[in-house]
Amino acid sequence: MSPALPVAAPPAGLPGRIRTALRISRFELRIAAALVLAATLPLVGAAGLADRVAAENLALGLDPRVVQRLQTIPALYGDLFQARKQLYASEAGELARALPQNGDVNAFLEAAIRRTPRLRRITFISPEGEVRAEREAATRNPEGEWREAPARVELPGGGRLECVFAIEAQYFADLAEARDLAETVQGVSALRSEIRRSYVRAFIALLVVWALAAALLGIWLARGTTRRVSRLVAGVQRLGGGDLSVQVDPGRANDEVAGLTRAFNAMVREVRESRDRIVYLEKISGWQEVARRLAHEIKNPLTPMKLAFQQLKARFDGLSFRDPAFGRLLEEVGEIMRDEIGTLQRLVDEFSGFAKLPDVRPEPTELGTFVEDYLRQSPQLSAAADLELTRAQDPCPVDLDRALMRRVLANLCANAVEAARPAHPRLHLGVSRQGGRAVLTVADEGPGVPANLRERIFDPYFTTKAGIGTGLGLAIVKKIVLQHGGEIQVGDRPGGGASFTLTFPLRDAPPPAR
Amino acid sequence: MTASPARRLGGAALALFLAALPARPATEGLLAITLTVVNGRAVAALDLSAVFGPSRQPEFGNGLNNLVEIYTSVVPANGGTPSAIHGRIIEILYDVWEETYAVTIKDPEHPSGRRLVLPSFDALRSLLSDEREIDLGAAGGLPEAFTVETRVEVNPISKEQLQRTREYIAAASGARPSGSRSVLGAVASFLLREPDAGRDVHLFRSALLTRSGVAGR
Repeated sequence: MSPALPVAAPPAGLPGRIRTALRISRFELRIAAALVLAATLPLVGAAGLADRVAAENLALGLDPRVVQRLQTIPALYGDLFQARKQLYASEAGELARALPQNGDVNAFLEAAIRRTPRLRRITFISPEGEVRAEREAATRNPEGEWREAPARVELPGGGRLECVFAIEAQYFADLAEARDLAETVQGVSALRSEIRRSYVRAFIALLVVWALAAALLGIWLARGTTRRVSRLVAGVQRLGGGDLSVQVDPGRANDEVAGLTRAFNAMVREVRESRDRIVYLEKISGWQEVARRLAHEIKNPLTPMKLAFQQLKARFDGLSFRDPAFGRLLEEVGEIMRDEIGTLQRLVDEFSGFAKLPDVRPEPTELGTFVEDYLRQSPQLSAAADLELTRAQDPCPVDLDRALMRRVLANLCANAVEAARPAHPRLHLGVSRQGGRAVLTVADEGPGVPANLRERIFDPYFTTKAGIGTGLGLAIVKKIVLQHGGEIQVGDRPGGGASFTLTFPLRDAPPPAR
Repeated sequence: MTASPARRLGGAALALFLAALPARPATEGLLAITLTVVNGRAVAALDLSAVFGPSRQPEFGNGLNNLVEIYTSVVPANGGTPSAIHGRIIEILYDVWEETYAVTIKDPEHPSGRRLVLPSFDALRSLLSDEREIDLGAAGGLPEAFTVETRVEVNPISKEQLQRTREYIAAASGARPSGSRSVLGAVASFLLREPDAGRDVHLFRSALLTRSGVAGR
């Protein structure tokens, strides 16, 4: 199977590849446009609603009554503080009224601290401004849990009573937090229109991004198909131009386009193989005609030559006076002529055999069994080489002309034995099924066939064994294989040596996938 | 009877157009100004009592931060770009515990702010109404004939408030159970634009003044 060939050479350099990557076909544009439309049409409609939704959500979240109430919270804290101040002033006034004029002021202040809630410190100051007595609550304020709230009362007889009450610091923290929240909500309320517009703008911006993403996705998805279609079109154009070597990469996908591409590749392969087969068979036919004429032309003078020499020898033998030197010369010449005529006779026989290859008469045969039988019935081959046959478990039913195929095996095995010499030959034969075809391999452990000769070794009269072969063996093999609808290739055997691979159509092969 | 779609669209477009227009000042009036030259510089005192009347007490005494921005410019009588501009930003916070007004005044002379504590609204009103020490540049640089224009904005949306609102929008979307932030909220926060000055805007323009008529001191 020929490797997939690129239908067009990629542009050289990075700029060329970037240009190729950025080039968008009309088909890609259509698919991208369809995806963008499908993705954005509903969203464009939704964009019309976005403004309304944003407005209604803002209206729900920013109820004027809520905003108004939030804004009044600091004032409520102000009222709370006022009430506390009045309470503390009232309590300070009561303490001032109860202050003993001549009694134990210290004891009174001590009791006042104990009795009065939140009173932290109380100081009695004389009319002269001197501190007469002062008491302070034992409870400290290390965590700042309260703040001081002073209350001062002027005494009727002069002097004053200064009280310090505690007010919870948490109120001030809550006030600050409430103020922050109220100002935030106030700002959001004031910016309501801008917020609504910003949401619509954001929605549209995201819509544009969405559409761009959809377009890019569409182009990316379309490209996976359109590029393969474009390659297939280019492949068809090259095929139309007569290039039977074209193969299109179907990619990794397993879709209709990939199936079409594979079918195209198979069709091109079949056409190419048929053409090669026809060309080869025509060539072989030409050579067969040459062989037939050569055999005829060579064979015809052989008999008169033989008779003429026999007459010359008889005449010489009948002479009364025979020159002994001439007799020896005649014997030597006679021996040479017999050898050469014998050689020519064998050549004529081979040419005749090649020229008179019979037509194939195939009959159903199990390939593995056939090869096994051949080896069993060829003791001279078993004696000449070690044989190893590997058969697939599944049967390989094929249509073969057994006589011709025995000739094929004989030629291949003879070649393999010759190639391995002078070492003891080891032949590896295998029968298997691959891709709907039966495969027969004949491999040896010889030097192998150089890559540059692999195309020519099947040509008639081409031989690498100078002075030994006629170069017809492999040509006969190939012709017989092709006549069976098969193919033959030569390659390397793993581990060294040559390997001839013959493939034949299986009788039970399924029809090619479409 | 319902309006046609085209008419409704037209109405929506008109509403958007009107919303996009800058807000017109609430009041326009004659600016009472006293312009004197102090050490070679033109210094103005403005009477803004028309803006800061007694009715402002609930607003400025609400315990929230209030903002007053005053922009003063010298505009040549024959038109053209102002020859001098002065800006003053006054932040007011009524302390509901202390019952005083904490005021911070920022202007080119005091960029980091001058802080005052005023005991009553009357004192605050007096401070706001009687804007003094507004430096309008070198007296020699005044046009031969000019007017002084003052723009007073009460509680416009400040940049801080705009930023706080942006964070609020972005954070509000983050308060979802999943804890993830909404892309829409984040983008909306980013696209939130600065609004116009609002409705409480007042523009005053002085009578025609001349450079030679500016009193020295």
